[in-house]
Parts: sequence; C-alpha cells; structure tokens
Amino acid sequence: MNQPNSQTTPPAFVHAIEVEFARILDYYGIAWQYEPRTFALEWDSDGNVTKAFTPDFYLPEQDLYVELTTMRPKLITKKNRKLNRLRELYPEINVKLFKRSDLRDLMIKYGLDEHAARIAGTGAQEGRG
Amino acid sequence: MSHYLSPEAYGELSAGIQEILISAGQIEKRVEELGQAISRDYEGCNPLLVGVLKGVFPFMADLLRMITIPVEVDFMAVSSYSTDSRQQGLVRLQKDLEEPIGGRHVLFVEDVIDTGLTLSYLLRNLRARGPATLKVCALFDKSRRRLIDIPVQYKGFDLPARFVVGYGLDYRERYRNLPFVGLLKPDVFQP
Repeated sequence: MNQPNSQTTPPAFVHAIEVEFARILDYYGIAWQYEPRTFALEWDSDGNVTKAFTPDFYLPEQDLYVELTTMRPKLITKKNRKLNRLRELYPEINVKLFKRSDLRDLMIKYGLDEHAARIAGTGAQEGRG
Repeated sequence: MSHYLSPEAYGELSAGIQEILISAGQIEKRVEELGQAISRDYEGCNPLLVGVLKGVFPFMADLLRMITIPVEVDFMAVSSYSTDSRQQGLVRLQKDLEEPIGGRHVLFVEDVIDTGLTLSYLLRNLRARGPATLKVCALFDKSRRRLIDIPVQYKGFDLPARFVVGYGLDYRERYRNLPFVGLLKPDVFQP
C-alpha cells in the first residue's frame, strides 16, 4: 500500500523539517515528490524569468503542492506574496502553506520534541522558496 | 439533563487552558443533532460504527446514545508515527475489527480530522474490504491543515489550526477527560 517518494534519485533536502515531513508521508503511504516544479512569477521585458517559486513537496494523488516554512509569522510576508502571485497566475494549481505553528504542532503531536524545539526556538529557514 | 461538570471542577487541567473554544453544552447539542441525522439516514441499514482509538471514545459513547436505531460498534487501533513504530517505516494496525465488513454500511467515526493522514490510511484499508457504503462522521475538523482530501458526511465543528485539547483530544495523554474543547496555553506545550 505504501507509495513512497516517486522520484528516481533521493532528493537533496535542504532542511531537517523537510526530511521529517517526507518520513511522515512515507509512514502513511502517501506518494510525494520533492520540488518537482518551479513556477515562474515575474519576467523582464525580454521574457526572462526574474522571480520564481518552487514549492517543497508535490503530492500527486492529491494534486497538491505543499510549502513548508519555519519562519516566524512576521517574516513570511515575502513568501505569502509569492504564494498569492502563484495562485493568481496558476489558478488551477492547489498549493498549501504549512506554517511554523502548523509544523510545530505536527511535531508535538508525533512526539518529535527536538524538531518542535528547533522550530520554536529559532528563526530557522530564512528567505527560501 | 446534562451531567458534565463546570470547567473550574477540573482545577489543574483547566489551569492549562487558555480559552474554551467549544463548551460542553455546545458539544452535547451538536452530538444530539448528529445522532438524529445518522438515525434518519441509516434507518433499516443496521450500520456499523467504527472508531479509531483512543481519542474517539468520548464522542463515540455520546454519539451512540443519541442514535435511536439499531447499530453496532467496533474499534480499531493504529500505530502512530509518535511511537517507536516509526522505526519500522510503515503505519500498521494494532487492533483490527472483530468481524468482516463486506456488504455492511460502515460509518467511520472520528474525533478530529487534521492532516487526514491517519484517516486516509484507515479508509483505504476499510474500502479494500468491500463495505456497501463507507462514510465519515467527524466531530471536529481542522480543514486548513488538510493534506489528504477526505469527504466528511457528518461534521460537528470547524476548529482553528491550533493545538486544542479536551473531549478525547490529548496532549501527552492528558486532558482527554475535559468535557469541553479548549486552547492549550503555550507554556504548557512549549518544547
């Protein structure tokens, strides 16, 4: 029943929280891909992409992109702008932001105190995506 | 006549609650409404209510007593990612149903749906056994955190994406016995 990571090569996760999130998906048999697609958000006058966004995970069976962030709420304005722009330009795309509090609660729920403490105690994951 | 105690009666436990989101009275009223709807919809079907331990047990007990048609009940238990079982890599059933469900009208009863990961696994498992129908009744729904889209036919309350306890919902196995649902104070669960 389990359908783990459907990419052929092991992904190079950037953050520990992404590793744990992937493990949780594997545990419950949810197929996933890591950063499979980059969405262009802005272009210059020559048509070159000047701003883009790459959600962390894609769940193919749910047709859902998931972006994780451990940034403090006041620091996620830039990321929210990108997500809003993505939704404007690609209305057919389903994307969900798992915020710092969502991830912290998820880690607490699963007794992963070390991860929860890391999320709660630092600014963590800055400015990516 | 209601038999629940006031929040103050739960001294130490209530002290950990920042705010009551749903009172015992609100829960009682909504559970009664859900029981009435299920009684009406499943008339003559002899449904099997299935719950997954442990959080569902207060809701299941109250809901059962609000259902006025013949029903049967059974429970499952599933390993959690929080236990050592994650070392084994895959979720697994720790307690299965007592009887086959092929051809039965099954209503899966949940206390809360959050990401939907556990429920998705259980519904896939039950669906493979060939029930006549398989529907979901959830008292609490944290839909903003949903990763797996799960249709919920009977829903009690929407909950914010916050850490809540009470009425079966726990933090480290405590607070399940509160008759209301409340936000836990941050300093209680700060890791």
